[in-house]
Amino acid sequence: MTGAHVRAVRKGQARTIAGSFAGYAVLVFFSLVFLYPFVIQVANSFKTEPDAAANPISPIPSPVTLDGYEKIFQATDLPTWLGNSILVTVLVTVGRIFFDSLAGYALARLRFRGRGAVFATVIAVLAVPGVVLLIPKFLVLNQFGIYNSYTALIVPLLADAAGVFIMKQFFESIPVSVEEAARIDGAGTFRIFWSVVLPMARPALITLTILSFQGSWNELPHTLVAVQDPELFTLPRGVAELVTGSLGSGTQYPLKLGAALLATIPVAIIFVIFQRYFIRGANEGVDKG
Amino acid sequence: MTRRTTTALAAAAAACALLAAGCGSGFEDNPASTPQSSGPAKLQILIGSSGEAETKAVQDAAAAWAKATGNSATVIPAQDMSQQLGQAFAGDSPPDVFYVEAGRFADYASVGALEPYASKISDSEGFYESLRNTFTFNGTYYCVPKDFSTLGLVINTELWKKAGLTEDDVPTTWEEFTSVAKKIKDAGITPLVVADTRDRLGAFMKQAGGWITSPDGKQATADSPQNLQALEYVQSLLKDGLAVYPSAVDAGWGGEAFGKEKAAMTIEGNWIKGAMKADFPDVKYTVHELPAGPAGKGTLSFTNCWGIAAKSKYKEQAISFVEAMTTVDQQMAFAKAFGVMPSRTAAADAYSKEFPEDAAFLKGAEYAQGPVNAPKMESVLVDFDTALQKLKDGDPKQILSRLQENTKAALGG
Amino acid sequence: MADATLTRGRLTGARGARGTGGRRRSVRSAENLAGWLFVAPALVIIGLFVLLPILMALWVSITAWNGQGSPFTGSVEVVGLENYTRLFTEEGLARQDFMTSLRNNAYYVLVVVPLQTALALGLAMVVNARLLKGKTFFRTAFYFPSVTSSVAISVVFLFIFANSGVVNGLLAMFGVQGPMWFSDSRGVLHLLLDGIGLADIDDPPAMLTESGPFGLSWWEWLSGPSVAMCSIIVLNVWTTSGTFMLMFLAALQNVPVSLEEAAMLDGANRWQRFRNVTLPALRSTMFLVLTLGVIGTWQVFDQIYVMSQGNPAKTTLTPAYLSYRTAFRDFDYGSGAAISFVLFLIIVVLTLGQRLLLRERGGRS
Repeated sequence: MTGAHVRAVRKGQARTIAGSFAGYAVLVFFSLVFLYPFVIQVANSFKTEPDAAANPISPIPSPVTLDGYEKIFQATDLPTWLGNSILVTVLVTVGRIFFDSLAGYALARLRFRGRGAVFATVIAVLAVPGVVLLIPKFLVLNQFGIYNSYTALIVPLLADAAGVFIMKQFFESIPVSVEEAARIDGAGTFRIFWSVVLPMARPALITLTILSFQGSWNELPHTLVAVQDPELFTLPRGVAELVTGSLGSGTQYPLKLGAALLATIPVAIIFVIFQRYFIRGANEGVDKG
Repeated sequence: MTRRTTTALAAAAAACALLAAGCGSGFEDNPASTPQSSGPAKLQILIGSSGEAETKAVQDAAAAWAKATGNSATVIPAQDMSQQLGQAFAGDSPPDVFYVEAGRFADYASVGALEPYASKISDSEGFYESLRNTFTFNGTYYCVPKDFSTLGLVINTELWKKAGLTEDDVPTTWEEFTSVAKKIKDAGITPLVVADTRDRLGAFMKQAGGWITSPDGKQATADSPQNLQALEYVQSLLKDGLAVYPSAVDAGWGGEAFGKEKAAMTIEGNWIKGAMKADFPDVKYTVHELPAGPAGKGTLSFTNCWGIAAKSKYKEQAISFVEAMTTVDQQMAFAKAFGVMPSRTAAADAYSKEFPEDAAFLKGAEYAQGPVNAPKMESVLVDFDTALQKLKDGDPKQILSRLQENTKAALGG
Repeated sequence: MADATLTRGRLTGARGARGTGGRRRSVRSAENLAGWLFVAPALVIIGLFVLLPILMALWVSITAWNGQGSPFTGSVEVVGLENYTRLFTEEGLARQDFMTSLRNNAYYVLVVVPLQTALALGLAMVVNARLLKGKTFFRTAFYFPSVTSSVAISVVFLFIFANSGVVNGLLAMFGVQGPMWFSDSRGVLHLLLDGIGLADIDDPPAMLTESGPFGLSWWEWLSGPSVAMCSIIVLNVWTTSGTFMLMFLAALQNVPVSLEEAAMLDGANRWQRFRNVTLPALRSTMFLVLTLGVIGTWQVFDQIYVMSQGNPAKTTLTPAYLSYRTAFRDFDYGSGAAISFVLFLIIVVLTLGQRLLLRERGGRS
């Protein structure tokens, strides 16, 4: 038995080295596949149009030029789009942190009549596919007379069912004793929430921040039905129009790639810094199911 | 869900609905009663610009008008005219003045979004008749055409010479076209690049004597033998490699392919002049009338009109604006700026003097076919375009019979 | 369920700790008020911008509202279920377009979901392998595409799949002439059948082209995704595999190593270990990935809007995009709303069906 065991382990070892090699090969190959498009994006945004058309694969522009970026700032409204994106994202993220955690806490810890109904509503809303809401949202925005305004762009996004769900899950995991202690000390509900429980919810809040930031920065369909004034375009909408609208005639790739790159950079930076939380956010989805 | 939660949800839903109905301030139900605002007007003008040249020209003209009349006028170039106008009409404050594409005119007119102001413009009959008809719906002449373009055969003089052809070889019939194209192909050059849409290939249908609808726009005539002849001819050009679609040579439209010298000829409209000047200034070309088909000469005309929103609060000022934009002088200024032809017949002489090389485009006005202007035809025509994209390997008879069915359904006949 | 237990638990606890009835009542009503105040903002926003829109859209879907004026006035024509029946039973362009979009999206789902699940699982397993270093780097690399905006990615892929772009350039290195991706509307299945000689793509068998259900011929139903759709498929697999890989990774890391080692000692080879140890542990994550995958793929919109708008030849038309176009371009809001509700129904049915199927297979997950 020992002999067989040793043989198995040795065979395993040999297989392991070959396996490692194969494993690394796979990983490197797919890393290239997943990252090279970004390399292409960056490289080609610094090329001249003929160069980009003739040598798209090459990661080295020849010559290196800022033509595409110059055109972006001259011919498009990128600064406006950037400003709008920042405004919308900041407001939406702050709004969601605040409203979602309030609601999540209430659903987790406060007893009030109809709590079950509210929670059921939250779950039901989670099930609605976003795309189905395109036309209806337009109808509602119109009916309220706020179509084509910053209000329309921001207010509907200020709270989301997924965020409420995440916060509720988290608050339920905080030991009740902490709150009981504060209550005995005479603190009111809001005080307990704000000063005792919320600080403990740091990890979930960061996750929520990341998810909200990413979601609102990259959002397109909502901007299609909320606004149409070019002054109100956010980055995704602006870049989309750059590609599909009348500005998109002719294949000015360095310009378009450059604009897309500028739209991606903020999220990329935040991602690299806060990787841990992005990944935790993705895993929250595991619990959501 | 318990009964209590269901009732709670239902109550919440009902509350929301009531709230919404009560807060319904987004819709103006009675456009005719839109009060005329007094004081200096702030006109919003939405244009579907063909490029920087056009945007600038309109902005300059608007600024001049604003100064002269003491109002203010803001010109906004649209990214997606149809979508933006559509959403704007559903909302509360659409732009006061905007371009109306001939193809969508009937859609807008039929839902009451347009103000029928045309008769209030001085000399409102002084526009080409076919253009006026394009903008007449149910007997009412709604808006004045701002300019027009027709299709012509654009020939690259260098590549033409390279294929050993001269001025005399410019084709005037389908047969001549085929033989010329063959000669060009033998010289190793792609003969014709033409866009895969009814807005170009439709010219062949006109040349064969057919069209999608009857002249009064009430009947579907898509599956006529003339149309079939036209599509079969185009298909033979595609199959023999005598014609290609722009996407096949990595271009977005015929003008781009032509400018990049991917083909010796293209079928495009006046707008190609501006594009060539801006993006491909070194390419030399001439413009000729399209070759005649079995039924004679034929081309397509494209036009927009100055639309005024029925919901506009500044109708008087808007009409004054349009008046200023459609004087002979202003139309000539636009023509010089971005290569369109004035829609006023009175400007024809001045135009042909100024732009003799556009004689072919101008002549087209005599035998041009305007766009289909019946409501609800847009998706039918998009479907037709889809079929045309596959024309090379498709079945023209089937394409036309499908077009016929769809057109009949849309026209309600 | 958890909610109910919690409530019950807290009630007993509260009753114990709070003492007299009078004080309990006032505390409870204060808590009641606090509770409602806390959920109010989120509830109002969700109610106004999710619930209310759905109700309004339901109303509009039974009318022929054309976008002018309010849909709630008396002058709006109510057409009952006609917008819905037109999609299924009435011969015409509406049904054709809808069925085409269903067909396109169905093939898209059938290709993307297995591909992205398999890729995500495979990558997760390789990254998880104990002997390989650099987990964090690879994990980041694979997840990064999921984080960026779909619009930006669409622009990059438009460039990559251009006729003389990166993909065709790479293929050229192997001597293969790549197709004109975005102009090629030929279906992959058609090409396959043509390739093996079963059917001629330019002259399909009359039996298949003459008739067919729901307005499309059998030949058209059997087209498979078009070449153009394939580029969008690649884009989406590339974008979403990273997210699912993370989920699998988290689940894999929960598989106790001792279990694997025991299996190895018992002499199980790699494949047996995978089937009997790893897969069962991944069951619930697999279910989640499949469900999210199905829901996501049936809603594909952004990429269609930016890259193809349904072209070429409507082979990239999807129900979500069709709904948008019907409403906002054709001014047929009733029909557009109807299409989106049918889509909603499809997604709900599929999700429930999937839950049923997977539950039957292996007991409660």
